[in-house]
Amino acid sequence: MNPARRQLWRQGLWEANPGLVQLLGLCPLLAVTTSAVNGLGLGIATLLVLAMTNLAVSLLRHQFRPEIRIPAFVIIIATLVTLIDLLMQAWLHELSVRLGIFIPLIVTNCTILARAEAFASRQPPSRALEDGLAQGLGFALILIVLGGVRELLGQGTLMAGADLLLGSWAAGLSLRLMPESWGFLLALLPPGAFITLGLLLALHQAIVQRQKQHPASLTATEKFQETDA
Amino acid sequence: MSTTRNTIRWTSVLPLAGLGLAAALLLAAVNEGTAERIERERDARVMRELARALPPERHDNDLTRDWVDERLDELGTVARVYRARLGGQPSALLVDLTTPRGYSGNIRLLVAMEPDGRVLRVDVLQHRETPGLGDQIERGRSGWLNQFAGRRAGLDDNERWAVNKRGGDFDGLSNATITVQAVIEAVDAASRWARQAPEALWVRPSPDEATPP
Repeated sequence: MNPARRQLWRQGLWEANPGLVQLLGLCPLLAVTTSAVNGLGLGIATLLVLAMTNLAVSLLRHQFRPEIRIPAFVIIIATLVTLIDLLMQAWLHELSVRLGIFIPLIVTNCTILARAEAFASRQPPSRALEDGLAQGLGFALILIVLGGVRELLGQGTLMAGADLLLGSWAAGLSLRLMPESWGFLLALLPPGAFITLGLLLALHQAIVQRQKQHPASLTATEKFQETDA
Repeated sequence: MSTTRNTIRWTSVLPLAGLGLAAALLLAAVNEGTAERIERERDARVMRELARALPPERHDNDLTRDWVDERLDELGTVARVYRARLGGQPSALLVDLTTPRGYSGNIRLLVAMEPDGRVLRVDVLQHRETPGLGDQIERGRSGWLNQFAGRRAGLDDNERWAVNKRGGDFDGLSNATITVQAVIEAVDAASRWARQAPEALWVRPSPDEATPP
């Protein structure tokens, strides 16, 4: 993987993660993540919309003058979201009932318009598609982690209801790690979403800070070792 | 040029119109291709809910094709009433109703009753009550819903349809009085309505297409 592509994935997954750093699309992020499966479902849907939008926008980028670029992007995004909503209703019916309004609301997730405008409209299709996948995966991972933490703290399970999303074979993925009566209810309530996300942001920041200091300390040690030798 | 820079030229609008048209055609095609399956899935979901509420031996008609919408004035909502028949005779009523009086919004219930309004079973289909408190109404979490079976609203039974904390005959759930009271009132309204429902209810034609709420 060449450096430019590696940079794309590093941006999407870590350095400019939509959920952790750009803080875009927080409404679905906070509202849906009461369980890991809900997070995974919305994450996959958002990932598909992001990748397909980036690809479509990049392919059509020479067709639209700057004045009408934004309306054109909005049409593309709305069309793709409606498409995915219809397909989910037809083939993942239970899950689409559970995620309810949040699938249509992917339209309003500003990550998608932001990537279309800031990246895909200036890049060739392959790079735009890859950026969409990277950003979408980054967002999906945060949804899953946030959903998983809240589900575990709130009701003591992980991946409960996985069969709704992945088919009946996935029923075995559901784990109960502690009795439901130990559940910490706050985690499932809206304040719990903010608090858990805040903790995740803090963790991300702490790791970034450490990484910034780490290379310096490493060279210092190396120097020390060199002089010692 | 510099002053008219911001006016939109018609030639630049054409691609937008083309995009709109293409989007409309694509969505129309996908809608056409999925509509039947979506309807089937919806019917199947409603069927599962109805089958859970009423044993299959209680009816021999297709419930998803035999229903009417009824206004429940006490709740101010419209309920969907499925009519179960056995050998052409009235067997049971299944009322799918939504009460807006939950602690955090709507609670959707499915109430199965004898034709005279005696409750067979109550299920909670959808709610947004507080996890750990109000959500104990779910059958999977407590047996609270079971106390409705066999009861019938109305004066002749001398029952007070309220939680015992408020002088009624129903057990409550701790810290969920609003939720519990909302469910009791909704089932009460359904049972009362069924008791007073005219015979004509059973002969009214169903709307042709079953579109579940």
